[in-house]
Amino acid sequence: MVAENSTPHLHSAVEPKQTLRRRLDMFVRAAMPSLFIILVAVLLSAPFGIPGQAELQFGIAMCTVWFWAFSRPRSMPALAVFVCGLVLELFSFGPPGAILLSLLVIYGVAHHWRYGLSRLGFVACWLIFSFLAALASFFQWALVCLHAFALLSPAPGLFQAALTIGIYPSLTALFVWGRRTFANPDQA
Amino acid sequence: MFSIHTRQVFARATLPILILFAVALVLLGLVRRPVVDGARLQATDILAPAYQALVLPQAKLRDWLVDLRGATDLARENSRLRDENRALRHWYDVAVALAAENGRLKNSLHWIPESIPQYVTGRVTRDDGGPYSRAVLLDVGSGHQVHMGDVALDSSGLLGRVTEVGPHTVRVLLINDDASRIPVTLAASHGDAIMAGDDTDTPRLIYYPQDHHPIEGERVETRGQSAMPAGLPIGTVHYLAPNRPVVMPDADLRRLDIVRVFDYGDDGGQAPDAPGRVKIRRPPSEPALPGGLSFPKLPGMSEPLGKGGQ
Repeated sequence: MVAENSTPHLHSAVEPKQTLRRRLDMFVRAAMPSLFIILVAVLLSAPFGIPGQAELQFGIAMCTVWFWAFSRPRSMPALAVFVCGLVLELFSFGPPGAILLSLLVIYGVAHHWRYGLSRLGFVACWLIFSFLAALASFFQWALVCLHAFALLSPAPGLFQAALTIGIYPSLTALFVWGRRTFANPDQA
Repeated sequence: MFSIHTRQVFARATLPILILFAVALVLLGLVRRPVVDGARLQATDILAPAYQALVLPQAKLRDWLVDLRGATDLARENSRLRDENRALRHWYDVAVALAAENGRLKNSLHWIPESIPQYVTGRVTRDDGGPYSRAVLLDVGSGHQVHMGDVALDSSGLLGRVTEVGPHTVRVLLINDDASRIPVTLAASHGDAIMAGDDTDTPRLIYYPQDHHPIEGERVETRGQSAMPAGLPIGTVHYLAPNRPVVMPDADLRRLDIVRVFDYGDDGGQAPDAPGRVKIRRPPSEPALPGGLSFPKLPGMSEPLGKGGQ
């Protein structure tokens, strides 16, 4: 059930005219997930003083890439993931490259298994995502330890993994609605 | 432009290449962390005005909340202030009455008024090259009248004594230096003791009477001996361990900024000559006159009448 071109009333033989405005609209709708990640990266790097801001940055990016990579890969190409990862790297202060690599790996898994994942239920997807998020957090913690040359407390990594896993359902609800409406290029 | 086959190869190769880039970034972070941090700081720098605009509503909201809380607490705050004001007024009346009574009593006792000390105020500069580990240099400007042994105070209490006098600066030996020994009086138990610095923040109390141990929390004041007037506040007694009383100084000896040096008169506490005893001659505190000329003080000339032992 890959969601591309699934809106029935748009399968008419008469296609709307490809005006510049329509193309732009389509592009913005397709780029909505990437724009969302960049917006979140910039917003959450502001000094609001909210606890868990950096972890939320990572968690939202992971959920977004995971969801769109298997549910509508056209809205989340590898290059967009890379650019989003770079922006995240710029506006975060963790070990360099960790978020970018995590995003690319989770994108690779989701993209490679997209047909299987689409057939699986929400809970199964969530479980696989949870495992990957925990793995990515562990990788980040290991990199931080390597940078510090010391065995640091794994608590921040566990918190990040828990937060990432915890926000996935609510973000999925938002994305499922967005996939039908504001982030659907077919509705342009 | 490209054949379908080439495009497929590109599509397949994109992700591995990007992952390679990411690994390269990880390695760069491990080898040259400052490069990455510099880029991040630059990005944050560019966005700094935006951050300010983003955080502004939050800050405004916090201010409003504080104001709102203040407004709701206004009635309680008002009644508290009214109570406090009443208590203060009471103490003001008590103080005025006591001052009047004190004046009357002094008058009837023919009390010799204490001389008003001269003082200079200076900014503290750290002392690096001096002979003491806890001493500061004080910039008092040229043409000052500071002498050796003058007392240095800040707004809350005694800091130390002047040990060396230069043309523009004086060196103040702090009370917590290893070389500092100051005679003190304990306000509640009326015992005398010596406050000896030991290079910690809390000078020790030594030589107190063995039947009058210092009481925890009592005030410690100067005793009035050798150019040091009586009753200058120093701090409070605290026991770090049994039989180990120390003084917690009122003055913050770690963060000195503006210090006043008081001249209470050099000969304030000098006892009159006792017949049959050899008088100990103190070294002259004034710098020698140019040309090696110095005028010895004649006994009795420098001693104002009635200012004998305190």
